[in-house]
Amino acid sequence: MSEVVLLQLIGLGVIGVGVLILLFIKSRFPRVIGFVMIVLGTFSLVALSVPQMASLPPAEEKFDVASIKTANDMAVIGQKIFFSKGQCALCHSIGPSESARCPDLKGIGAKLSREFIYESLTQPQAYVYLDYRHEGPPKEYPARMPHINKNPIGLTNNEILSVIAFLQQMSGEPITVSPSEITADGKPAPVPAAVPPAKGKSKSKSVKKADAGLVAMVHGQ
Amino acid sequence: MRNHEVSQGHNRVRLELGALSVAGLAVLAGWLGFPVAGWAEDATSAAAAVSYRDIPQLGGSRNIIWVIAQLHLLLAGFVLGVPIFAWLCEIVGWKTGEKRYDKLAKEFTKLLTSSYATTALFGGILLFLLIGFYPKLMTYLTDIFFPSFVAYCALFLLETATLYLYWYGWDAMLEGRAKVLHLFLGFLLNVFAFFIMVIPNSWATFQASPVVIAEGSSLARAWAATWNPTWWPVNIHRLIANVVLGGYICGAYAGVRYLSAKTAEEREHYDWMGYVGNFIGVFGLLPLPFAGYWLMREIYQYNQQMGITLMGGFLSWLFILQAMLIGVLFLGSNYYFWLGITHRIPGAETKYKKPIMAMLVILLLCLGVWMTPHSLVASLEEARKLGGTHHPLLGVFGVMSAKMTVANLMILVTFMSFIMYWRAGKDETATWAKLARAVMSGVLGVAAIVVIVLGVWGYFVPAIVRINYFSVAQVLIVLFVMLTITPLTALLLKSARTTTEMVWGRMPPRAGYALVLNAVMVILLMTLMGYARSSSRVHWHIYGVMRDSSQYAYSPALGYAAAFMSLNTFIFCMLVAFIFWVATMGDKAKAGGHGYPAMAGGSQELDRNQ
Repeated sequence: MSEVVLLQLIGLGVIGVGVLILLFIKSRFPRVIGFVMIVLGTFSLVALSVPQMASLPPAEEKFDVASIKTANDMAVIGQKIFFSKGQCALCHSIGPSESARCPDLKGIGAKLSREFIYESLTQPQAYVYLDYRHEGPPKEYPARMPHINKNPIGLTNNEILSVIAFLQQMSGEPITVSPSEITADGKPAPVPAAVPPAKGKSKSKSVKKADAGLVAMVHGQ
Repeated sequence: MRNHEVSQGHNRVRLELGALSVAGLAVLAGWLGFPVAGWAEDATSAAAAVSYRDIPQLGGSRNIIWVIAQLHLLLAGFVLGVPIFAWLCEIVGWKTGEKRYDKLAKEFTKLLTSSYATTALFGGILLFLLIGFYPKLMTYLTDIFFPSFVAYCALFLLETATLYLYWYGWDAMLEGRAKVLHLFLGFLLNVFAFFIMVIPNSWATFQASPVVIAEGSSLARAWAATWNPTWWPVNIHRLIANVVLGGYICGAYAGVRYLSAKTAEEREHYDWMGYVGNFIGVFGLLPLPFAGYWLMREIYQYNQQMGITLMGGFLSWLFILQAMLIGVLFLGSNYYFWLGITHRIPGAETKYKKPIMAMLVILLLCLGVWMTPHSLVASLEEARKLGGTHHPLLGVFGVMSAKMTVANLMILVTFMSFIMYWRAGKDETATWAKLARAVMSGVLGVAAIVVIVLGVWGYFVPAIVRINYFSVAQVLIVLFVMLTITPLTALLLKSARTTTEMVWGRMPPRAGYALVLNAVMVILLMTLMGYARSSSRVHWHIYGVMRDSSQYAYSPALGYAAAFMSLNTFIFCMLVAFIFWVATMGDKAKAGGHGYPAMAGGSQELDRNQ
């Protein structure tokens, strides 16, 4: 018997006792207790009828440096991190989705350089900081994207590189991350210097209004 | 003199029973503590390296903490809510000269002595268990918050001394300047109680929204940790929620007593008391969603990820349950008002039938929108299986813009229920009455339209604009309605002629059950949101700082959690019933087996001595 079924039976039992009290006991206080039991039992049954999702702590992907031979090995691990510890899929989709709160990442590995993706993950506020999507002068634009290398998500440098490998592979691009970049301690490497994104976009405060949407999309808005 | 003897007799009985209850709870504590002692022996070898201890035979450390912490919090809410309730009633009694309010305040203050001890006892048990089960976490928190522990103890001493003066000095400070002094003591009692609430709030909110603790003196570090982003939103939210809890529990007590009343006098009295309890509950309920919205906004600003976990992640269904409970609470409160109009005011049934039906329909529609889930799944895999996450028609109601709109409309309807009840049975004779009514109708109508327009408009603007401007505007509009119509109605009714006297004690039995239902809903809501607050930290003791590496690092699913919420609610209801029973036992004995007890000013003894 599953836990849900057991709890449903208990809930039904509580409601049943409450009904019996109301049917057969005339004294007021026990009747109120019976009424409360019916309310609480019903609440439990309703709570049991919605999707039962527990939140499990993310499994920590262990990097066995010796086992990583190819860039594809990194992409496989990166995919696991994308859907688990990295919590990327909580906001991003791969392909069109109505529920995605943040940009669709399909093909993102082809649109952006690995350095720019790295910067987007570790310094989400670095590139886009002005919002042009309104009348008047631009305002500061708080990126929704969290710092992925800091708590609470806190991916290590090895894990971030693996996610980049996955994003490139998923976009049909050659993986430019090399297994040789994996470090034994998994500590973040020095942050690469800001590099303009691929496809010729310049890093400047004076991002054109027409570009703002695309740039915002890059960093998670 | 006689009153003094009666009071002494009551106190003796209460003290003896209080001692018995404390002894009983001490046995419970010992029963819980015994396995801990045994376990501690095993742990001595590990010494300071121990991060966790457990008692799996009793359901596991997490579940034990869950029950004890929840009961402590609910009792604390009760103990902090009752003084606010009592003090408000005392002020009303003092200003209006109606003795029954003063008696009601006094008799609820009487509950404080026994419930205060029970709350402290559960707090002590909780502290011992936390130190035993989570030594590493507690060491960390103690290191940061030790100065506030000292302040907490000092506040408890002040609170206890003030409570003694407030309760034992009641009869000695009934009139004149002495009464003003007594009211000031009540004010002090609430001030100390407020700070007793906000200090532990800083510990709990630091776990959810920690800030960087720089080097410095222990006081400076404690202060920095205390002033974390969610501290004040939680303080305000809990303060209002405690008023709501106090009011609805008073209402539930009155409902139970009304159901078992044997004389017309008892029915009249407990009917009135139920009205007061429900009124204060609704008074607090109306601004509560605003405080909740502020808290949620601060959480989003502090950490987007935490906000998403709450509203769009695995906890998203919790907010559907929350909508259901709040919806039932709104319906229950309105239903009680409507019953009051149709049963306490002869001839009003036909006059108010249509408006009541209209309000019921609006409330049900709003509840339906509020309960519409945004998305049915949380992962891409599940979305693919279902072929999408939104219902093609109803999905549009699942977003915050719709939910904020209907929440505001429900508050407006409930407010209008109260105004309708207030004005029922009275003929407004002021020369400007017609104009005032037109202004009130206009304000209400325009406000409702603007709230809906902003809600619809919210679909077409960026989320940041909606959150920062539209939602705030909706809240301000509703507050404006309340702050405009309430004083206008009060002025209007000052010169009004009563056409139909309110008749107390004619409510049907379902009114008593409605009051009990409202109290159960509030308690369930507190347990539900406690689970949400705790689960939003996911696998962290202190979010992003100290990871939970125990076997209980997961957050259980809603069904399992709901079973605990129901259990905790039931135990709390029984505890409160026990406290009420203990507090009124002596009065029943004095009443000689007839009449109703002194609880809530119903004492014939007290009446004779006025």
